[in-house]
Amino acid sequence: MTATPIGSGVESAVRAQEGEDGPRPQPTWEKVLRRTGRAIIVAFWVMVVAFMLIRLSPGDPVSAALGADAAPDTVAAARKALGLDVDPLTQFWNYLTGLFRGDLGASLISGVPVTEMLRTNMPVTLWLIFTSVTMTLVISLPLAMFIAMARIPGLPYLFRTLTAIGLALPSFLVALILLYQFGLIWQVAPIFGYDPTFPANLQYLWLPSLVNCVVLVPVLSRVLYSSILDTLEEEFVETGVVRGVRWNRFYWLYVLRPSLAPTVVLLSYMMGVMVGSTVILEIIFALPGIGRELVTAVTMRDYPVVQGIILVFGILVVFLSLIGDIVASLLDPRVRLT
Amino acid sequence: MSVNAMASESSDVLVEIRDLVIGIQRTRKDRLLIVESANFDIRRAEILGLVGESGSGKTMVCRSLIGTLKRRSASIFAGTIKFDGMDLAKLEERQWRSVRGSRIGYVPQSALTGANPVMTVGKQLGEAIRRNRKRKEKDVRRRVMELLELVHIRRPEVVYDQYPHQLSGGMRQRVMIAAAITQDPDIVVADEPTTGLDVTVQAEIMKLLKEIRSELKMSVILVSHDLALIDEVCDRLVVMHAGTCVEVGSVSAVARTPLHPYTIALNRSRIDISTPGAPLITIKGNPPAVGEWPAGCRFSDRCDFVQQDCTVGRNPVLVEVRPNHWSACLHAERLGGTSE
Ligand SMILES: Nc1ncnc2c1ncn2[C@@H]1O[C@H](COP(=O)(O)OP(=O)(O)OP(=O)(O)O)[C@@H](O)[C@H]1O
Ligand SMILES: [Mg+2]
Repeated sequence: MTATPIGSGVESAVRAQEGEDGPRPQPTWEKVLRRTGRAIIVAFWVMVVAFMLIRLSPGDPVSAALGADAAPDTVAAARKALGLDVDPLTQFWNYLTGLFRGDLGASLISGVPVTEMLRTNMPVTLWLIFTSVTMTLVISLPLAMFIAMARIPGLPYLFRTLTAIGLALPSFLVALILLYQFGLIWQVAPIFGYDPTFPANLQYLWLPSLVNCVVLVPVLSRVLYSSILDTLEEEFVETGVVRGVRWNRFYWLYVLRPSLAPTVVLLSYMMGVMVGSTVILEIIFALPGIGRELVTAVTMRDYPVVQGIILVFGILVVFLSLIGDIVASLLDPRVRLT
Repeated sequence: MSVNAMASESSDVLVEIRDLVIGIQRTRKDRLLIVESANFDIRRAEILGLVGESGSGKTMVCRSLIGTLKRRSASIFAGTIKFDGMDLAKLEERQWRSVRGSRIGYVPQSALTGANPVMTVGKQLGEAIRRNRKRKEKDVRRRVMELLELVHIRRPEVVYDQYPHQLSGGMRQRVMIAAAITQDPDIVVADEPTTGLDVTVQAEIMKLLKEIRSELKMSVILVSHDLALIDEVCDRLVVMHAGTCVEVGSVSAVARTPLHPYTIALNRSRIDISTPGAPLITIKGNPPAVGEWPAGCRFSDRCDFVQQDCTVGRNPVLVEVRPNHWSACLHAERLGGTSE
C-alpha cells in the first residue's frame, strides 16, 4: 500500500500486512488436522454419553432377553457370561481398551460382532443419505436460482407458502403418503426390500430420498434463495454485468457461487440430523439400514451395538460438518476454516 | 428549450443527456419518478463531477449510462442519451453488450463489495480482456500485469493470485479501476469510488483517476458527496437536487459564482477546517422524498431566497445564465453576486 495508514500502530500494522500480502495464509491441511482432532474428541464424548445413557435407562439386556420372571441364578450366569457382572467403570475400561484394538464388541443377543453389523448395514444408511442429498441439491439449486432471478410477480410468495407447508409436514406422514401413493396406488416403487448392488439399489432408495427432499428442499432452497437475493444486491454483480460476462459464467461465478456457502454449511448440518432421522424411513420402507438395527438394539438393551452405532453416528456427524466447512471455504474464499 | 444550446457550444461532446426521466413502473398506472429532467453533457477527456444530497438520483443517472437500470426494476421513461450516434436510452439488452465495458467502464461505489469475492484479481481482470478478442493465456496475463502496474499496484504478480478480501480497500479500488479501463472505454463511470476509504487513500484514488484521464484520454464521470474533492479533481460540475440537475458549469465558475441557492447552501455546509470551532452549517430541512416533490422549484421550501413564483407551476428547467454556466433557478440572475 502506498498510502500512509492513519490510526493506531496496531491497525496500521495489520493494514500494512494485509495490503502487501494479505492475511498470512495458514496452511489448510493444518486447519483440517486441527478440526479432525476436535472431531475425534467430540465423537469420543458422544460415545461416553451413549455408554452412560443406555445403562441409566431402566432394564438391562438380560431381563430384556430372558423376561422379568427368569430364575435369579440363570440371570446371574447370563450377566457373568456377558461381562455385565463387574461395575460400570470397569465395563467402560474394558470397552475402551477393546475400542483401541478396533474391537467394538459383539451383540449380546445374536453374538454377531458390531463391526460386522456396521459393515453390512451402514452402507444402506449412507446410500440413503447420499441419494437424499443429491436429489435435494438437484432440486434446490435450480429452484432457488429460478425464483430469485425470474422476477415473476407472486412467485416468491407462492414459493414461501409452499416451502412453509413442506416444512410443517412431519416426515413420517409424508413417508406414509408417498409410500401409499407411489408404492400401492401407482406401483412405481417397491414398498420394501433392498438390493445392495449399485444401480439396482437406487430403485429402492429414490422414494425414501424423496421423503427427505420434502423436508430438506424447503429449508435449503429458502436459505439459498435469500442468499441469492443478497448477492444480487451486491455491487460486484453490477460490475459483472458491465464487464459483459457470458451468462453461464455469470450465473455460476457471480450469482450462485458467492451465495452457496451458507447453504453448504446448513446442508452438512442437515445431513448430520438426517443420520438420526433415517431411522424412521428405514423402518417405514423396511430398508436394512443401521438405524433400524439401532432401534432393535435399544429395545433389547444390546449395549455394545447401541454404543457402537452411536459412536459411528457421532463420527459421521462431526465429519460431515467438517466436510461442509471445507467445501464452503473452497467455494467462497471469504469463508475461513476455523 | 434553452438546454439545446449546450450541444452547439463545443464539438468535443461525447455524451449528451437530454430531459432524461428515470423511474420505476410500480403498477400499470403508477409510476414512481426518481430522476426527472437530467440535462448535461460529458465532454471528451474531462472529469465531470456529479454532486447532490443522498437520494437525489446520482446513482440512477450512472446506471442509465451503463445500462443496469433494468436489474433494479427501474427504466428510462423519456429523454435521450446520445453517445456516438446511438441513443443509450433506447438500447436493447443485446446492443448494450457492445457498449458496456468496451465503451463505458464502471467503477463500483464500494471497494468492499465491488469485486467478486470468489475470483482472484487476475481472473477478474482477465475475464474482461478475454471477452472481446480471443487471446492467448500468456497475453492475457501480460496485459493484466500491465493494467495492475498502470494503477500503481506494487508487486502485481502477488496481487494477481489474491482474492479481493485479501487486499486493503485502496488496493481493491485500484483493481476495480483497472477492471474498468481494461477494454479501453471512452468513459469511466465512477459512482462514489472512495466510499469507506480513509482520506489519504481517497486522495490517491483521485490522483489515479486524473492520470487515467490525461494519459488514456478517457472521460470520467465522478459521483461524490465531497465538494472539496470535486473541486480538486473535476473540470466541470453537475449539481443534482431531488431528481433534477439544478446547476451545470465549470468547477471554477460554480465555486466563484454559484447560480443556484442549493449550490450556495451546499458550499456553505462544507466543513470549514481552517477556522476551528466554526459552527457547522447544514442545509435546512430534508431533501424532498422521491414522489413527494413540491410544486414549482423543488428546493423552494428549503430556499433562503424563495419568491412567490418559485412555488407554483412546473419544475424550472436549466437556463444558460452565463456562458457555459447553466442554472435552474428562476432568479439566478439576481444570485449572481451573492456568493460569499
Ligand atoms: N427500487 C427502488 N424502489 C423505490 N425507490 C428507489 C429504488 N431505487 C432507488 N430508489 C430511490 O431513488 C432515489 C434516488 O436513488 P439514488 O441511488 O440514485 O440516489 P443517490 O443520489 O445515488 O444517493 P446516494 O448519494 O445515497 O448514493 C432514492 O431516494 C431511492 O430511495
Ligand atoms: Mg448513489
